[in-house]
Amino acid sequence: MTQSFAVLLQCLLNVAIALLLSPLYEGVLRKVRAAIHSRIGPPITQPYWDLLKLLGKEDLRSRGGAVYASLPPLVLGSLLLLATLVPMGAAAPLSFAGDMIAVLYVAAMSSVLVMLNAFASGSPYAYVGSSREMMMALSVEPILAIALTVGAFKAGTLALGGMLAFQVQNGPSISMTIAGLAFFLALQAQSGKLPFDIAEADQEIMGGPLVEQSGPRLALLRWAMWTKQLVLAFLLVEVFLPWPRFGILPADLAASGVKVLVVLLLVEVVDVVNPRLRIDQAMGYYVRVALSSLSALAFAVIGK
Amino acid sequence: MTTEQEHTLRTVHQVTAERSNGALLSATQPYPDTLHLVVDKKAMRSVADGLVNQLQARFLISVGTDRRPLSGDFGIIHIFSLDRDHLYVLLESPIPEDDLRVDSITPVVPGADWAEREFQDAVGVHPEGHPDPRRLLLPDDWPEGIHPLRRDFPYNFRPPSVENVRPKMREAPTGTSVLPMGPFFPVLEEPAYWRLFVEGETIVGCDTRLFYNHRGIEKLGDSVLTYSQIPFLAERICGICGFIHSTCYCQAVEKAAGIQVPRRARYIRTIMLELERIHSHLLWLGIAGHIIGFETVLMQTWRIREPVMWLCEAISGNRKTYGMNTIGGLRRDLPDEVRPELLNTLATVEKETIAVRDAIIGDSVLRARTEGVGILTSESARSVCVVGPPARASGVAIDARIDHPYAAYDEVPPRIVTQETGDTWARVVVRVGELVESIRLVREALSALPVGPICAEITEEIPPGKVGISVVEAPRGEAIHFVMTGGDNRPYRWRVRAPTYANLQALPAAVMHGTIADVPITLGSLDPCFSCTERLETIDQRTRTVRIYSRAELLEMSRGNRLRGGAR
Repeated sequence: MTQSFAVLLQCLLNVAIALLLSPLYEGVLRKVRAAIHSRIGPPITQPYWDLLKLLGKEDLRSRGGAVYASLPPLVLGSLLLLATLVPMGAAAPLSFAGDMIAVLYVAAMSSVLVMLNAFASGSPYAYVGSSREMMMALSVEPILAIALTVGAFKAGTLALGGMLAFQVQNGPSISMTIAGLAFFLALQAQSGKLPFDIAEADQEIMGGPLVEQSGPRLALLRWAMWTKQLVLAFLLVEVFLPWPRFGILPADLAASGVKVLVVLLLVEVVDVVNPRLRIDQAMGYYVRVALSSLSALAFAVIGK
Repeated sequence: MTTEQEHTLRTVHQVTAERSNGALLSATQPYPDTLHLVVDKKAMRSVADGLVNQLQARFLISVGTDRRPLSGDFGIIHIFSLDRDHLYVLLESPIPEDDLRVDSITPVVPGADWAEREFQDAVGVHPEGHPDPRRLLLPDDWPEGIHPLRRDFPYNFRPPSVENVRPKMREAPTGTSVLPMGPFFPVLEEPAYWRLFVEGETIVGCDTRLFYNHRGIEKLGDSVLTYSQIPFLAERICGICGFIHSTCYCQAVEKAAGIQVPRRARYIRTIMLELERIHSHLLWLGIAGHIIGFETVLMQTWRIREPVMWLCEAISGNRKTYGMNTIGGLRRDLPDEVRPELLNTLATVEKETIAVRDAIIGDSVLRARTEGVGILTSESARSVCVVGPPARASGVAIDARIDHPYAAYDEVPPRIVTQETGDTWARVVVRVGELVESIRLVREALSALPVGPICAEITEEIPPGKVGISVVEAPRGEAIHFVMTGGDNRPYRWRVRAPTYANLQALPAAVMHGTIADVPITLGSLDPCFSCTERLETIDQRTRTVRIYSRAELLEMSRGNRLRGGAR
């Protein structure tokens, strides 16, 4: 009884971090973006106000239908589920033997839900955006899988907690460094940043899957995007860069939070100094990243 | 006149005589650089074919005029340029009122497509054999048979509007789907409607509907305003290159009236024209960055651009729309006090522009997005009669400053920047090169700036029935103004062609077989020029209080009781 209560409490903690801190991280990133632009930029709290404003707006719908109306909450929900599967300062609350597979599935689920929602909206821009989203997912998600497989192979377990413990105990290795780097490059696309924000591409297809979203539904989808970048960044630092580990939850959480900020700042700087690639160029790039990341598996096999 | 020009003139006469087959009515030379041919309308296509395809003349624009009050007929003039010989050729045909048809020249000169559709809308002369005679500039609900540029059409007449009319658009080819771009779209600053026919992400065709914001400026010029009021309206044709249009109009009238502009005025016009090119190209570079998602380029180039606007304000009192031009010269001198500020600003802008240029040239992702994208071959650039940087990026070395020198460009000639590849990257390189070149030109013109009067004394009435044509190399390409003088202190006909008019016609060729992702930047690389002015802000110099006038207040101030209730 007490054990399940503790799990529930931990789940709530992870969900709260993902939900409440993701706009704050976004606010910091906007400040950095503004600085590189020679602008002052909005206050760091602006994303919270954006969400509040959108949540209070009218819900304009291009067409009826349950899929179109109900998917945005599910997109955010799927990412909160992902948050409970990812270690944040402590072991993942919902951890079990195969949680690496579950993480990959749930991460893919959020993109699939976005695509379904876009198809249901009936806009030609959303169709184009969805097909781009699908092509990006197909070329980026294998990289996440390869990177986590390297961890699983090294630690001899599919559990993320096991990989974390193995990393803490054994220190950095060539294979895990390459895998972590590949994961980092995939994070750029997974968090919808330039040069890979091709599925949204405001200037080409007016936001793609988001074009027919408004008010509360748009708020939830924005929130989901910010949550996704935060949770995946946590996954990156916890599995591939878990040092230092104090064993005290608040200290570990703070350390991870700082590392996540550094990772996201790097992602943002790459975003600001790049124009958008075309979908064929982006896919070509990620095929090369995926092939190179296979070398990490080879290193793992020979024990490096 | 050089011997080469004389030789070319002889050849033109020869070709015209052959092609017109006895239908040549007259051939005159009103100015040393202008040949005016009048042929019977049945010989129009054949002579145009000879000029363009035998003599490599470049089609500029067509002018349709309702001359019923003068000679009882209509007139269609096609204007051509023989760039290397610095000559204009005006090919005119009288069109009798009882047979308002003329052979279309579009089948032999593809660049005449819009020009012919436009005179069909404006004066109602039908171009026979035009491949696509749909409506061009009149609204979709405009009644048939009403032509706004006819003399009996009052400038303030408004036909009743009709709800729910749609433009006549081409059907998508089978197996393709339609992706609409516009009438409102993020990268289009003004309404424009492109229907892209796509297979997956690949463009296999497109159709357009434009002129949603046609303002009837030419009509106002020949019915309401006077010669010396028009420069202010001409300056408002464009929100970016306004000085270009006012200069171009003034030059056309000056030519028709035989007015000699003082040398100092010509130099100051050159300086202002080049300053306009500098801030326009910087603006364009930022927008091009924005279109491919590179917001840092937008933010930085617009920051670099801002001091140029301050400079224009120091010279003229306005960031834009300087109100400096008048017929015969200038209304406002270039004050000597701004000279140090001008040189300082130029030095800073030059340094920062070169830094941006080097950053852009070294950016592999940017090159990946622009190289080989939106290719406009030299042949299609010539056949559609593209002008300005898009032409020069496709290896067509035309530049109005060199081909038909005006202002002080005969004394401070520009170096022309060209590229051969015709892709979006080439258009970037050409514009950035011109930016640096313009800074040099301003410096040179400033150091050679002569002293003297800034405006010619005009003692005589401007004679009626004269024709003046003038071109100015705007940042986007060559702007053309054609003026036929009238008797009541205003032009009988004023024809304006902005460079985008020519360049937009090249878009279908440039986006063909590209992807959806390439359309916005290809369109952007033609630098379509849009203007928008909705409100006015005034600052009281003594109290520093700011007052913003709303659209309603501006309408009240400008129209007052005259149109109250009449206007919507």
